[in-house]
Amino acid sequence: MSRGNGHKSVLVIGGGIAGIQASLDLANMGLQVYLVEKSPSIGGRMAQLDKTFPTNDCAMCILAPKMIEASSHANIELYTYSEAEEVSGEVGNFRVKIRKRSPFVDWSKCTGCGLCEEGCPVILPNEFDQGLGKRKAIFVLFPQAVPKKYVIDKREERPCKAACKDACPAHTNVLGYIKLIAEGEFEEAYKLIRDTNPLPAVCGRICYAPCEEVCNRGQLDEPMAIRDLKRFAADHVNIEELELPTITKTGKKVAIVGSGPAGLAAANDLAIKGYGVTVFEALPEPGGMLRVGIPEYRLPKEVLRKEIGYIQKLGVEIRTGVRVGKDITLEEIRKEYGAIFIGTGAHGGMRLGVEGEDLSGVMEGISFLRVVNLRGKAEVGKRTAVIGGGNTAVDCARTAKRLGAEEVRIVYRRSRAEMPASAEEVAAVEEEGIGIELLTTPTRFFSENGRLARMECIRMKLGEPDASGRPRPIPIEGSEFTTPVDTVIAALGQVPETEFVTELGISLSPRGTIGIDPKTRATNIEGVFAGGDVVTGPAFVIDAIAAGQKAARSIDCYLKREPVAVEEEERVPEKLSEEEVADRQKRYPSQKRVKMREEPTQERVKDFREVSLAYTPEEAIEEASRCLAGLIEGCIECHECEKRCEAKALVYTMQDEHVEVDVGAIILATGLDLYDVSPLTEYGYGKIKNVITALEYERLTAASGPTFGELRRPSDEKIPENIAFIQCVGSRDFRHKTYCSAVCCMHATKEAMLAYEHHPGTKSTIFYIDMRAVGKGFQEYIARAQEEYNVTYIRSRPGKIEVTPENDNPIIWYEDTTTSETKKFETELVILCQAMIPRNEEAAKILGVSLDDCGFVEIPDKIFHPLDTARSGIFACGYAHSPRDIPDSVTQASGAAARVAEVLAGGS
Amino acid sequence: MMALIPSKEVVDVVLEAGGEPLKLCYQCGLCTATCPWNLVRSFSIRGMVHQSQLGLVDFESEDIWLCATCNTCVKRCPRGVEIIDIMRALRKVIVEMGVAKVPDALRLSAKNVSVTGNPLAELQEKRADWAKDLDVKPFIEGTELLYFPCCYPAYEPKEKGIARATVGILNEARVDFGILGVKESCCGDLVRKSGNETIFRRLAESNIKAFTENGVKRILVSSPHCYNTFKNEYPDFGGNFEVIHSTQYLLELVKEHRIEFAKELNKRVVYSDPCYLGRHNDIYDEPREVLQSIPGLELVELPDFREEALCCGGGGGRIWMETKKGERFCDLRLEQAIELGAEVLAVACPICMCMFKDSQLTVDKGESIEVKDVTELVHEAI
Repeated sequence: MSRGNGHKSVLVIGGGIAGIQASLDLANMGLQVYLVEKSPSIGGRMAQLDKTFPTNDCAMCILAPKMIEASSHANIELYTYSEAEEVSGEVGNFRVKIRKRSPFVDWSKCTGCGLCEEGCPVILPNEFDQGLGKRKAIFVLFPQAVPKKYVIDKREERPCKAACKDACPAHTNVLGYIKLIAEGEFEEAYKLIRDTNPLPAVCGRICYAPCEEVCNRGQLDEPMAIRDLKRFAADHVNIEELELPTITKTGKKVAIVGSGPAGLAAANDLAIKGYGVTVFEALPEPGGMLRVGIPEYRLPKEVLRKEIGYIQKLGVEIRTGVRVGKDITLEEIRKEYGAIFIGTGAHGGMRLGVEGEDLSGVMEGISFLRVVNLRGKAEVGKRTAVIGGGNTAVDCARTAKRLGAEEVRIVYRRSRAEMPASAEEVAAVEEEGIGIELLTTPTRFFSENGRLARMECIRMKLGEPDASGRPRPIPIEGSEFTTPVDTVIAALGQVPETEFVTELGISLSPRGTIGIDPKTRATNIEGVFAGGDVVTGPAFVIDAIAAGQKAARSIDCYLKREPVAVEEEERVPEKLSEEEVADRQKRYPSQKRVKMREEPTQERVKDFREVSLAYTPEEAIEEASRCLAGLIEGCIECHECEKRCEAKALVYTMQDEHVEVDVGAIILATGLDLYDVSPLTEYGYGKIKNVITALEYERLTAASGPTFGELRRPSDEKIPENIAFIQCVGSRDFRHKTYCSAVCCMHATKEAMLAYEHHPGTKSTIFYIDMRAVGKGFQEYIARAQEEYNVTYIRSRPGKIEVTPENDNPIIWYEDTTTSETKKFETELVILCQAMIPRNEEAAKILGVSLDDCGFVEIPDKIFHPLDTARSGIFACGYAHSPRDIPDSVTQASGAAARVAEVLAGGS
Repeated sequence: MMALIPSKEVVDVVLEAGGEPLKLCYQCGLCTATCPWNLVRSFSIRGMVHQSQLGLVDFESEDIWLCATCNTCVKRCPRGVEIIDIMRALRKVIVEMGVAKVPDALRLSAKNVSVTGNPLAELQEKRADWAKDLDVKPFIEGTELLYFPCCYPAYEPKEKGIARATVGILNEARVDFGILGVKESCCGDLVRKSGNETIFRRLAESNIKAFTENGVKRILVSSPHCYNTFKNEYPDFGGNFEVIHSTQYLLELVKEHRIEFAKELNKRVVYSDPCYLGRHNDIYDEPREVLQSIPGLELVELPDFREEALCCGGGGGRIWMETKKGERFCDLRLEQAIELGAEVLAVACPICMCMFKDSQLTVDKGESIEVKDVTELVHEAI
C-alpha cells in the first residue's frame, strides 16, 4: 500500500543543505515531505566543511539546527540510507518506490551510544573524512549525524562459519582479534582477547587450541595458527602499562579459593563488575597449575606474573601461603564474604600401585614439576624414566632432560595413538632425543644401597575399549624384563584435593570432585560456588577459565539477588560443506600457515629458555591475513557489536524494505561528487604525500575530523607555516571538466584565511588563472585575505610539482605570467582545488530527467523557469542543477519549493 | 625591445596552424612551467603563444628554434592548444617567407635532405650499403614487410648496429621482409618540424610513391619519428600504410615464440622513453615488456618516465643544432642513468641514440654506461 497524497505530498531526493532547505520550506507550507537520502545521515557536503563561505561560520553550527528541524518536523518523513528506485505517473500524481537499505540495526532501539563501535574489529577508511580517518564496520557517519543511528557496513557473506569461536570454551572472538592483527592493531587485538580471556599470554602459549581443530581454513589447506597469533598479540602489548577500565564499586566482597586459571578468571570478572575480591592461595606464588605445573620453557613465569599483575591492579587481593582449612577455615571466610568460589584445581598425584614405589629415586610427576617450578631445580639421575603418556609426562621428561639427565625415556602402557599428550608436544619430545617406550608398564622397582637402581617392566597388548573409550592395555604374560634406571617420575594423572570443603558440608563425588549445579555453578551450600579442575577433574586451562567466568556471572546474579541469567545455548562448531570448500578454494589461493620459529634443539635443551620464538609483526600479519573471515570487505559478522549492545538493537538478519509514496512533485537535490584528480599526474596527487585536495583540507581543519581540527600535513603531522592552493584542477580543462566549478576561488580564499586563523602567521599562496569573485562582497573578501590573512595570489597555473626528499616539501614549478619567468616555489602543503561533478546520474535515470553534456540537469527554460527540469513536476536545485555555492544552493532550494507549491496549487 | 608590427600575412599563417584551439589559450603558463627547457634556461612558451595570438611575434628571437617538439606541454594543456603546430608555423614563416634568418645548421641540414634525401649528406646510392654483407632481400611486390631503417641507422656508423640487429632478428624469426634501399628517402619529420614544409611535402610524396609502386602494405620502422610521420602525417598526403615500431614488432615475435632467447643478459638496464613513441603515440609498455622478457636483465626506471619522461633534446631539428653545454637534456638524462647505477641506457629511437652517444663524450663518467637500442639488446640475447 502506498502512502501520501498526490496533491499535498512532495518527494525530495538528497538530504544535503539544498534538500533540507526545500523540505523545510515545503513542510512549513503545510505539505507532506518525504526526504530521501542515500547515506545514513542527512547533512550532505556542508557537514564535511569546517567553515562556510562567506561568513566563515562553523559549518556544523549552522547546519545542525537545520538537520534537527528537518528530522523533527511533523510534516517531514526522513528516509535516510534509502534510495528512490522507481517513479511512475505524472505531475500531481507520481508514485515513488523507495528502497530502505538494511542497516542491520533496529533504529527504534539504537540509542547511538557507540558501545558497538568500540568493539568492532573491522577498520575501514572513513569516507566522511575523505578516507583520511578510519571508521569501523559499524558506524555513524559523523558525530552530529541525524538520525544518530548506527549502520553495519556489510558487503559480503562471511566465507567461513567462525567455528573457532564456537569451539572455544570462553567463546573468544577469534575472527575479530585475527582481523585486528591483520590490520596491524596489535594492542586492540590483545584487548579484544582479554574481554573473554584474562590470560591471553598464557593461553597464547599453552592452550590446546580447540579452535584450530575446527578452523574452516583447515578444510582448505591448513588451519589458522590461532594460538600463535594470540601469543603474538600478547607479546606486543606492555601488559603492565595497559590502561585500567573504570570500575564502579558495589561494596560487596567475594572470596576465591585457589589462584589458578579458574580462580583468576572469576576474580578478574568479578573485580571488573565492582566486587572486592580476595584470593586465597596455599602456595607461595599465585597462578596455581600455571605457576607450578607448566615448565618455564613452555610458559615463562614472567609472562604469567604480568597477567596476574594486571588482575591485581583491577583491585584483586591475592593472599599467598594461606591454606584454606588449615590457616583459615571456610566458615571464617564465609562470615566475611558474600560469596565464595572454590577453584583449587587438581594438584594431587596418583600412585602407581607398584612394589618399590616409595623408594628414594621414584617421584610423582606433578610434585616433581612443582618442585622444579618453585625452586628452579631438582635432582634427577643419569637414566630417567617417566611413566605416563599425558602432557604432564611429556613436561616431566623434557624438564628432566633440561636438568641434566643423560638418558630420558617415556614409558607408556598403550600405543602412540592413545597418548593423551598433544601431537606437537610428542614430536618435540622426540626431537629433543627423548625415547618413547610404548605398550610397556613398570611392575616393580629394585634398589641398591637404598636407592632406586632397576625397574622391572612388562609388555602390554591392546584389548577391548575400557570406560575411557580407549583400548584396555593387557599385560603379556612372561614378557617381563628389567632395565637399569636412576630416577622414575610417575606422571599418571592428577586428582583434586578437597577434604577441606567438607567442613561446610559441601558434597563430593566418589572421585573427590566437588558437585555443582551445572546451571548456577553453585554447590549445595548457599553462596559457595566452584569450577575448574576441582569440579571436572584434570582438564585444560581454557576450560578452567570458562568455568571461572561462568561462575562469576552466576555469583554476580546471586549477590544482586537476581535470577541466574540463562546461558546461551552452546553452538556446535560448523564445518563448510563440500560445495563451500570447492567454492572457497576457487576464490582464495592456497596458503600454508606461517610457522613460528623455534630455538634450535641442541641449544634449547641446555636450559629453560622458551622453545617457541614469537612471530615478527610481518609474520603475524601474513598469518592473520589468511583468516577466511577477514578476506571479505566490511563486516565479518563476529557479533562483537551484538554482544556489547545494551539495547539489543542488532539484527543480522534484517532485510532491505520497500515503501511506496504518492507525491504530486519531486525535487532533485542530489549534490556533488569530487572529480578524481590523480590522472593529472603533473600534480602528483596520490603520490606526493603533502599534496591533498580541498575537501581533505576541510576535514583536516574541521574539529570533528581525523586530526581534531589541527591542520597537520600528512607526511609528518607537522603544522605547516607555508601552504599553497592550486585552482582549476580538473576544471576549465578540455582534458577533464570543461566547466568552471564555480566555488573554488572563494573556498580556497576561505581556507587560506582559516589556516591563518588556526595558526596566525601562516602564509598562503593561491595560484589562479582567473579570479572569479563574482558575488556581492566577494572582491572585498579577497582584499581582506590579502590585507589581513597573509594570502598572496599568483596568476599562473603550475606545470608540475616535485618533492624535496629530505623534508617531503612539495616544489611547485610555475611561470610567473607577469614576468615570463619560470620559478620554483617550495611550500609545505599543496591543496588542489579539485573539480566538482554533479552526482545525479542514477536519480536522473529513475526520474526520467535529461542531463546536459557536463552531467548537470538540463533546464529547457533557463530564463523564466530556471528550476524546472524537462519533466513536468520535477524540479532541480543545488549542485545537481549547476555549479554553485551554498548560499546559492539554498536560494535555489527555496525557489524549487515555491515552484512545487505553485504547481500543486494548480499553477503550471 | 624592438617595436613589433603585426603582419596580417604572418598572423593568418600562424592562426591557421594553431586553429581554433589557439584562440582558447587562457595564458595560464602551464606549458612554460612544464617545458624541459626551463630546467636549463628560461623559455616562455606561453609568451610565444600569446605573441602568436596577437600576431606580434619577435621572429629574430632564437627562442623560436628551441622547441624540441617533445609534446609535454601539448599533453597537459588544459585548453587543447596544439603548441607544436604553432611552433612549426612560426618556423615556416621564417623559412618560407624569409622574415628572419634561419640558423645555419638548420638551413644546411634541410639543404642536405633536399639534395641527397638524407640529413647526413651521404650519397643516395649508398643508402643500402649498411646491409651489403647481410642476407637482406630488396623489397618486391608481395613481400610481407618493408623494413625502413631511418637515415641515421642507414648511414651513421655509430647507429648502423640498430639496422643490422633488426635484420638479424628478422632473419632469425624467418620473417618475409625486404628493404627499398636507394628507392626511399628521409621520412621528413625533422625538416617539417623545423619549418620546411615544402621539402617535407616533396619527401612525403616521393616516399608514398615508392611505397605504393612497390606494393608496400606494412612498414617496420626503427625510428619513432618515421613511425609518427608515416602513421599520423602521410595519410594527409594519401599514404595509408600499416606502420609498426620495432619494439612493438619485437614483442609480437617474443609472444608468438618466433624468437627464443638463448643467452642471459645480466645487466642493469634503464629505458628512456622517446617522445615520439611515448607522448606522441602512447607506446610505453611494449619496449618495457620486450626488455623484461630478456633473461637476466634487470629493468630500472629513471626518476621521470613514461608520460613524464625527459626529452633527449633532438626532436624538431634540434639534433642538427649546437646546444650549449649545460643546456643539453641528453646530458641530464645520461647523468640520471649513471646515478641509478645502470650499465645500459636502452633507447628505442635513433635520434635519442645519437644524442646520448654525443653526451657520453662530454658527461662525467659517460663511458661507464653503454647506449643501446632495445633491438640490439634483443639481438645480443638470441
